[in-house]
Amino acid sequence: MEKKEIRFKINGEDTVISIKPNKTLLEMIREDLKLTGTKEACDHGECGACTVLINGVPVNSCLVLAMEAHGKEILTIEGLKQDDRLDPIQEAFIQNTGMQCGFCTPGMIMSTKALLNRNPKPNDDEIKEAIAGNLCRCTGYTKIFESIKDASSKIGGK
Amino acid sequence: MVIFYRRLPKFEYIKPESQNMLFEILSDNKNCSVYAGGTDLIPKLKKRLIKPPDVLIDLKGLNELDYIKIEGGTLKIGALSTIYSVATSKIVIEKFNILSQAAKSIAAFQIQNRGTIVGNICNAVPSADSAPALLVLNAKLNIKKKDGSRKVNIDEFFIGPNKTVLDKDEIVTEVEISEVPSSFKGIYYKLSTRGKMDLATVGVAVLLGSDNGRFSDIRIGLGAVAPTPIRAKRAEELLKGEKINKELINNAARIASDESSPIDDHRASATYRKIMVETLVKRAICRLTEVG
Amino acid sequence: MEEINIGDYSLLGKSIPRIDAYEKVTGEAKYAADIELPGMLWCKILRSPLPHAKILNIDISRAKRLTGVKAVCTAKDFKGFRWGWMPITRDEPPLAEDKVRFYGEGVAAVAAIDEETAEEALELIKVDYEELPGVFDPEEALKEGAPVVHDYRPNNISWEFHMDFGDVEKGFKEADLVREDRFATGRVITGFLEPPAAIALWNSSGITIWAAKQSPYFVYRHLAQCFNLPLNKIRVIQPFVGGGFGGTKNDSVAGDFCSVLFSKMTGRPVKFVYKMEEVFLTCRRRHNAIIYNKMGMKKDGTITAMQSRLIADGGAYTAIGPLTMYLTGCISTLPYKLPNFKHDAYRVFTNNPVGAAMRGHGVTHTRFAAEIQMDMMAEELGLDPMEIRLKNAIEAPYETINKVTIFSCGLKDGLLKLKEHPLWKERKKENKDKETISGVGISGVAYLGGARQRGYQSCAAVLRLCEDGTVEYLTGATDAGQGSDTVLTQIVAEELGLSIDHVDIQRVDTAYTPCDAGSYGSRVTALAGEAAMKAAKDLKRQLAEYAAKEWNVSSEDIVFKNNKVYPKHMPDKAIPFRKLAQIACYSGVGAVIIGRGYSQYGIEPYDFEKGIGNAGTAYSFTSQLTRVEVDKETGFTKCTDMIIAHDCGKPLNPGLVESQNQGASVQGLGQAIYEEFVMDRGRTLNANLADYKMPTAVDAPNIEVIHILTDDPKVPYGAKEASEGAIVSSPPSVISAIHDATGIWFKELPVTPEKIALALREKKKE
Ligand SMILES: Cc1cc2nc3c(=O)[nH]c(=O)nc-3n(C[C@H](O)[C@H](O)[C@H](O)COP(=O)(O)OP(=O)(O)OC[C@H]3O[C@@H](n4cnc5c(N)ncnc54)[C@H](O)[C@@H]3O)c2cc1C
Ligand code: FES
Ligand code: FES
Repeated sequence: MEKKEIRFKINGEDTVISIKPNKTLLEMIREDLKLTGTKEACDHGECGACTVLINGVPVNSCLVLAMEAHGKEILTIEGLKQDDRLDPIQEAFIQNTGMQCGFCTPGMIMSTKALLNRNPKPNDDEIKEAIAGNLCRCTGYTKIFESIKDASSKIGGK
Repeated sequence: MVIFYRRLPKFEYIKPESQNMLFEILSDNKNCSVYAGGTDLIPKLKKRLIKPPDVLIDLKGLNELDYIKIEGGTLKIGALSTIYSVATSKIVIEKFNILSQAAKSIAAFQIQNRGTIVGNICNAVPSADSAPALLVLNAKLNIKKKDGSRKVNIDEFFIGPNKTVLDKDEIVTEVEISEVPSSFKGIYYKLSTRGKMDLATVGVAVLLGSDNGRFSDIRIGLGAVAPTPIRAKRAEELLKGEKINKELINNAARIASDESSPIDDHRASATYRKIMVETLVKRAICRLTEVG
Repeated sequence: MEEINIGDYSLLGKSIPRIDAYEKVTGEAKYAADIELPGMLWCKILRSPLPHAKILNIDISRAKRLTGVKAVCTAKDFKGFRWGWMPITRDEPPLAEDKVRFYGEGVAAVAAIDEETAEEALELIKVDYEELPGVFDPEEALKEGAPVVHDYRPNNISWEFHMDFGDVEKGFKEADLVREDRFATGRVITGFLEPPAAIALWNSSGITIWAAKQSPYFVYRHLAQCFNLPLNKIRVIQPFVGGGFGGTKNDSVAGDFCSVLFSKMTGRPVKFVYKMEEVFLTCRRRHNAIIYNKMGMKKDGTITAMQSRLIADGGAYTAIGPLTMYLTGCISTLPYKLPNFKHDAYRVFTNNPVGAAMRGHGVTHTRFAAEIQMDMMAEELGLDPMEIRLKNAIEAPYETINKVTIFSCGLKDGLLKLKEHPLWKERKKENKDKETISGVGISGVAYLGGARQRGYQSCAAVLRLCEDGTVEYLTGATDAGQGSDTVLTQIVAEELGLSIDHVDIQRVDTAYTPCDAGSYGSRVTALAGEAAMKAAKDLKRQLAEYAAKEWNVSSEDIVFKNNKVYPKHMPDKAIPFRKLAQIACYSGVGAVIIGRGYSQYGIEPYDFEKGIGNAGTAYSFTSQLTRVEVDKETGFTKCTDMIIAHDCGKPLNPGLVESQNQGASVQGLGQAIYEEFVMDRGRTLNANLADYKMPTAVDAPNIEVIHILTDDPKVPYGAKEASEGAIVSSPPSVISAIHDATGIWFKELPVTPEKIALALREKKKE
């Protein structure tokens, strides 16, 4: 099982890395690139903790092979902050206490990022649907909904 | 021996850039698996539910298979079309709405963005949500291998849980659905415990054409209630050509339930599933025919 | 920012953003699995494929020879060490010794250069078993001739607990209606998203372990015992914790012991991360229990007596089970007046995974039974479920028959608010469509805050003043997500008149932080909060003396506010706090300013054998309305609304209190209608997050939290309990709502669509 070289952009940075074919994108992000903000909980696509965006689209990185990153643009939670300025979604999660333990938070925020990119003014049902693949055991979701609504208004949604 | 694997088994990874290359590999390499979204295959590999292949073949290099298009009224969905793209495709929503309903009901966005409709079918679990819809749409699957191709009707495609008519060296390249008269209406009901991110305990698809108060055409597809997704043909026969009325619908629903052969498992009992087939078939037909 | 006036405070009563929020939204927050050390090995555990079997032989030779494998261990390397909650119940070895007692119990472990190699090595270990007949149902396990799980408990009764107060027979005689029912609670698990993980290092300074623990001082003691080291050689460092909810993260897991042992054997750091399936199959879950409940009631709804017999599935080991049994009974005398009460609880060994603590510990079982039975009786007597609760609700001050003392109680207040709520007043509305029926249910419960166990109780705080006026705060309390770090910091900052960013809380490091009992039983705000308050007052007292000298006033008259210090009534004289800190720190020799405090509440004795006295420091009261929509044919149920009137005393951070209630009630909703392990002879068939159905965002209802303010003298600033009440109130109110919709009383949790649909069909036939 040979390592193969792949090239991709992660959080805006061009990256070249040699990787074994049986590594998942999640493992590569966490272990090789040391970006541990992306979390692993179920490892089977069931919880959304590992959500990252590939070319703007949210996916479960635990179900993607690292090899598939080749030629893609990947965004993880670490890539949201721009020159020390938080993304409005991050601001909103802070101000509305959209978290408790925080383990679901990176995935939750990445799903929100994808939602608001696609639909800056989501209604309640659209918000729920957008994070239906992201389990949170702590908050009962209420304050997450509030955070997302606030983020939507922060970015000029309404 | 119980081991909770967190790592994938060893395999080589190949991403062919052309179908020729793909079929070459498929025809001479013995132990290989193809995959598209990987949402079924990767978890199975992780859990060691299947024997790891020596070579894993990523179909996503075949960009030409990523399309949803209409050709002469016929809908064509390429093997790389994701569930999300099918769920949100304008053509599908307008002309083959029941398929979009089924696609929308699958998991959540992260899975829909990766998983494909063709993968959903090829994985061939009884609860695959797109299957009942594709069954009632009389979908055909275009299958290719190194030196040949064939077309298989979806109702002949499944042969058992996780089993299809596909040979090791074949892949499905396309789902093809002939034009459905614009007066036809369809409903896909997915019954599950949670509102989202859940597998169907029962899936019911009904496609109805009516004419002057009669069932001009009626097709009933059932998921998760038999070793494969099935059509409830006897129930359909009972209705076809008949005048739309409540009693007949009730009878048809009962027959559809008889046609199902569900099992008890950790998701639901066979008894409940049978009753639900009757309930949901009845509900779907009543709603489509607006019978009280 | 939301604000509730709970007194003359600058920070308390305000929904200050969490102090760890920035780290959590940026991905900076490090959890155990995020930590790596150079030269690190991976530990992985081989587990039993049988629920009950003798281990005849374990052959590790092939695994040892695999390239990359550095060590392999089995039970014998732990030299007979066993752990447990009480000295007499230490029955659990890190790896199975002579026999395995549940499916998935650890039998051997491997340390290798990477996890892949460790997994491969496990495949090379050969274990010979002789399968033994198993027992999987607690009532079966009590029968004569049932397979014996532990020789030291030949009748399989792991623990029993009995309470007998007043005269229940007399009480039942006085009643106009007596009912007996069998209730059952389901097989559920905490469901935290972060699987247990740790990285351990053994070197000349002893053991250092970065472990995902909500109560790190448990593993601290376990490791000292297991490896025969003094406590000052055990260093548990607390990373961020991805949820706890009791049970597993309050305790040690096999991986903790094995990774430490491997580090000792190899001299290298060793890491393990559990798989979610491994958590579901092998970690602690809530006991599932059968409750035979008998209640007597007068025509007017007055409860005259209650008798409960509870049989809990304890699984294969004792763990914290004795406390669970205690809690199933001792709080049953709340929140309704109960003159006669008898309780017999049996925790039974089976060959299932281990039953242990979970949020709402013990109380969830018996309160569910009692609430539903009370509703059933109200219905039989033609009484309104709201009125019957109002009638029986206790009022403070109150002492229960088992001497639980209540100094504040917002139950009636809460119920009256709910009674006026549109959801209750307009509940006989038309249904949405012909297939859907709706219903509204109610419950009223109590829970203990500042819980105590039998041993070490106290919480402590140390504050170190920095010369620039900032403060380092050391506490042994763990924030597993609930937000206690924020509230504790608010307390310290409030007392010192500082803004919140002047106080820096340190996460637990047993080398530096004061020993703490742990984050369980809603004890952190009450007890660690008391310690924090006292430490801040201690620091303030010392500083005030320096200030008093400057102004020549009494030290009592020094005011600390808005990062400033001034003599009372002379705010124009104010100097920055920073200035005073400098004066204090630089004045003379040895002026190192340290504030200290420890909790003293809840230390009076209580009788663990008979169930007398206060197991908590103060008690929260929660009443809840729930609305559901039920599809009357498919049984599909959607919970649309929950209104929770919660008396936590004084909400020090209202947003966090709401979040606790919202989270707990949705977790309770899971227990009520979604979650259940399906078992087949000791095997869990749905050990994954797709089939073990925790509620998703789509399933969560709209939740309104109404703060009911009370003033409890027993806890700091009157803050009692916020995290567990709503997981107790949620299931009965959901089930009562389903009854309101369907007319059927369900007595076994969870009430799945299948159960509802089949029951409705039965009912229709009748
Ligand atoms: C958390 C979770 C939730 C899910 N929820 C649902 C749900 O609600 N409903 C549902 O129906 N499914 C669900 N699934 C299953 C899965 O997402 C779908 O079946 C999906 O459509 C599979 O598509 P894929 O492209 O990812 O398949 P892959 O994993 O890539 O492939 C699946 C199988 O099909 C074969 N295959 C793929 N493409 C081809 C081809 N072109 N020719 C021949 N063989 C091929 C592969 O060899 C493999 O055996 C869920 C999965 C997960 C992990
Ligand atoms: S860890 Fe990837 S979805 Fe749960
Ligand atoms: S905050 Fe803990 S899982 Fe969401």
